[in-house]
Amino acid sequence: MTNDTDYISKRKFMEELYRYRRGSVTRRHFLGVTGLGTATAVLAAAVPGLRPRPAFAAGDIGDRVVLATWPNYHDPANFEAFTAATGAAVDVNVFGSNEEMLAKLQAGGSGWDVFVPTNYTITTYVGEGLIEPLDAARMANYDPAAFDARFAGPGNVDGTLYAVSKNWGTTGYAINISKNDNVTPTTWKEFWDMTMDSFSGRTMVHDYQLTTIGNALKYFGYSFNSVDPKELADAEKLLLDAKPHLFAINSDYQPSMRSGDAWMTMCWTGDGKQMNRDMPEIVYVLGKEGGELWSDFYAIPKGAPHLDAAYALIDFMLTPEVNAKEALFHGYPVADSRVNALLPAEVLNDPILYPAAELLDALEFGAAATLTDPNRAELLARFKSA
Amino acid sequence: MRIYAAFVYLFLYIPIGVIALFSFNAGRHASQFQGFSTQWYGKALSNPFVMEALQTSLIVALVSATCASVFGTMAAVALQGTKGPLRTAFDLLIYVAVMIPGIVIGIATLIGLVTLFDQLNPVLAAIWPGGPPPQLSMGYGSLIAAHTLFTMALVIIIIRARLAGMDRALAEASSDLYATPMGTFRQVTLPLIFPAILAGFLLSFTFSFDDFIIAFFVAGSETTLPIYVFSSIRRGVTPEINAIGTMVLAASLLLLIAAQVLLRTGRRRG
Amino acid sequence: MTQRSRNFLLLAPAGAWFLVMLVIPLTVVLIFSFGERGAAGGYVPAFTLEQYANLPARWAAFKNTLILAPAGTLASLLIAYPLAYYLAVRADPRWKTALLVLVIVPFWTSILIRSYAWIFLLGGRGIPALLAAIGIEDVRLINTPFAVLIGIVYGYLPLMVFPIFVNLDRLDKRLLEASSDLGASPWRTFLQVTLPMSLPGIATGCLLVFILLMGEFLIPAILGGGKVFFVGNALVDLFLQSRNWAYGSAVAATLVILMLVSVTAYMRLIRRLGAQREDVALM
Repeated sequence: MTNDTDYISKRKFMEELYRYRRGSVTRRHFLGVTGLGTATAVLAAAVPGLRPRPAFAAGDIGDRVVLATWPNYHDPANFEAFTAATGAAVDVNVFGSNEEMLAKLQAGGSGWDVFVPTNYTITTYVGEGLIEPLDAARMANYDPAAFDARFAGPGNVDGTLYAVSKNWGTTGYAINISKNDNVTPTTWKEFWDMTMDSFSGRTMVHDYQLTTIGNALKYFGYSFNSVDPKELADAEKLLLDAKPHLFAINSDYQPSMRSGDAWMTMCWTGDGKQMNRDMPEIVYVLGKEGGELWSDFYAIPKGAPHLDAAYALIDFMLTPEVNAKEALFHGYPVADSRVNALLPAEVLNDPILYPAAELLDALEFGAAATLTDPNRAELLARFKSA
Repeated sequence: MRIYAAFVYLFLYIPIGVIALFSFNAGRHASQFQGFSTQWYGKALSNPFVMEALQTSLIVALVSATCASVFGTMAAVALQGTKGPLRTAFDLLIYVAVMIPGIVIGIATLIGLVTLFDQLNPVLAAIWPGGPPPQLSMGYGSLIAAHTLFTMALVIIIIRARLAGMDRALAEASSDLYATPMGTFRQVTLPLIFPAILAGFLLSFTFSFDDFIIAFFVAGSETTLPIYVFSSIRRGVTPEINAIGTMVLAASLLLLIAAQVLLRTGRRRG
Repeated sequence: MTQRSRNFLLLAPAGAWFLVMLVIPLTVVLIFSFGERGAAGGYVPAFTLEQYANLPARWAAFKNTLILAPAGTLASLLIAYPLAYYLAVRADPRWKTALLVLVIVPFWTSILIRSYAWIFLLGGRGIPALLAAIGIEDVRLINTPFAVLIGIVYGYLPLMVFPIFVNLDRLDKRLLEASSDLGASPWRTFLQVTLPMSLPGIATGCLLVFILLMGEFLIPAILGGGKVFFVGNALVDLFLQSRNWAYGSAVAATLVILMLVSVTAYMRLIRRLGAQREDVALM
């Protein structure tokens, strides 16, 4: 990926963002309020068990479907409903990073039917021939018009549909403010400074390059996606300085945060929401300097062994009622307006899910170049093995 | 001395106790006890993926331990009467196979076989008569082959130690009495080395059943029990994992006690 | 059929296995280690020494391994020896077998699950909470090299106890009696009779544990919180995260060479110490 295309997508992104700031917040609010009546009705209809839809009733999709996804990202009840409706059990494999997913697919024979790539990885999967083009006709519940193009866009590469939008979100940090005199920090600078000071031995960072390096770059005000050697060298120095003060380098941070072993961690929207829901002293912060805005997708890898089941699962998960239940469970925003119409107003107004415009403003989408950039990969490895 | 031993046993069993205790947890989290329940045992036993992973692990362990014992015994017996470069080559290979860390076996098998398959698959496709050709890929085959590599070397070493301690005069006497080589093997050698073969088989089975790191690289789309456990731990530990661990432990204990009882009665009769 | 051709046939399956699963894969690793990383990861053929020149970037991982593997071996030995001695020499013979089996039983639960139990024990709600109750505040155990060391000793203790036990158990107890009858203190009996006689068992146990530790990945991954890095962790990272097969192959090749050199040197040393018997070590 060249800088050229990056620039265009960034500009496009800014335009989208302005549009969003002008109208979208009120629209969502409006949808939340007006949709509430229908939402209750539809949800109620969905509860007694899902009526078999044509795609599922068609029957023989096999007895299983293998899904590769992220931690804390699904409502297990929905998988049970899928199995009840189709007879196919869902085998959930959880991964810690896009790099790991890519490595597994590159080695071949992953056995996956559906996986959940993040926006910045899809062009690489297409380039490497690892991802199957999607046949929209096989997903009755897929309605391209319902999706916010900003988040669903990366699923289309050169006019071909490869992936459909699952959720979007941000990467900020979660902090247990009871350990900080109930003061909520607001910047990445504070995140790193506190790590090396009052929170020494209590902070966790992600175990993959994009956000750990990206948020270290933010300390200096550089772009989250920088591959500039000088800027990366600054980030590396910060990371190496902070390393002795870290509690762990691990993308699965909820157990440690909940048990109180860790007090602060890099964090995705939904995990922040899930922890905040159960322990109000854990709050979710977006650094003022910026950070990551991302969107995740459902996609099918080349050579998926249970293709019919893969389409059936994606279609099932795209069903607005099912997707709404997912969102209520995991706390990640959805780009599908049909789903938002079903969600209660307090979800749609939740500042963790839908941050204030000036905070969103500063965020960047991850760039494809970072996924395959050897310097960023090596930097993270040096940081981990230091 | 006895107090020291007691402390070591405590050290060994406290974690096991923690595992067993939380397997009866009513709550979802593995670190907060929220009341007694056996529901996780039911969940584990009715989870098709757990049962399948268990089945995969058992098949792989059985087949690889059998291969290792049979081929390892053959090689150990043959190496007794082999000298020269062939002997040197085998000694070296056995040494390297035992010495190499599991993780390197995993990696080498992965990139070696992926490279090999990339060469073979097009050839196979070209010569396959009609129908879609089979695709060589990682799975049961690579798992069994990689486990057998290490365990076979282990079996050879164990049996050679036993053969070395054996009285050669017995075998010589047997052949002096005009027994065929096969007859000598069946009547004299095999009974003597049988305990070593059994020990080798059990060791191989245990190794394969508990191996994670080799399987992590070469299992392809197959899931063994340790891989399932690893994946579940990342999915957030539920007491289901504890229940699985406790059941595997209980089953091994039962097997051990059964074997002990069988041996005792066997000995009494003999 | 001559004996020669019969032997050849008997060796054929094992030979084929070694060829396909050991010689070819190791050769591929060696070839890859002189190659380059592909644009999106993987491997591109080339001939360069770049990967080996880059090895210092993993110096910390090698250093951790080369410190913690011998340290873990030594710690296991120190803890295992008295127990093995107790079981072989002191324990009530009626209970001996049962006590020995009890050492091995934990080995049958997956090492993964057992290590996971230690996360709880070493985490804030485990041992540190107990220590805090008796006034020792703010002890941090989890995600430290010490936690990894505990995991190592816990995981490999049976491997150390067993060979030493077998060795001591075979030891003629009359020797010990003779030594004390001749007026030697128990300590002197131990140093001059028991310990030298148990050297083969010690050698075997140490070798087993050391070999496994050099390639360790799981225990540092689970109890080190991604901060205590072994070569094994670096390898998993290189193959399963940064997808740098060429560099990963160079690291793997270096690890293998390191092991062959250190293990060969170790066995020479043991031989020179005079413990040259059939049951020494593995070979």
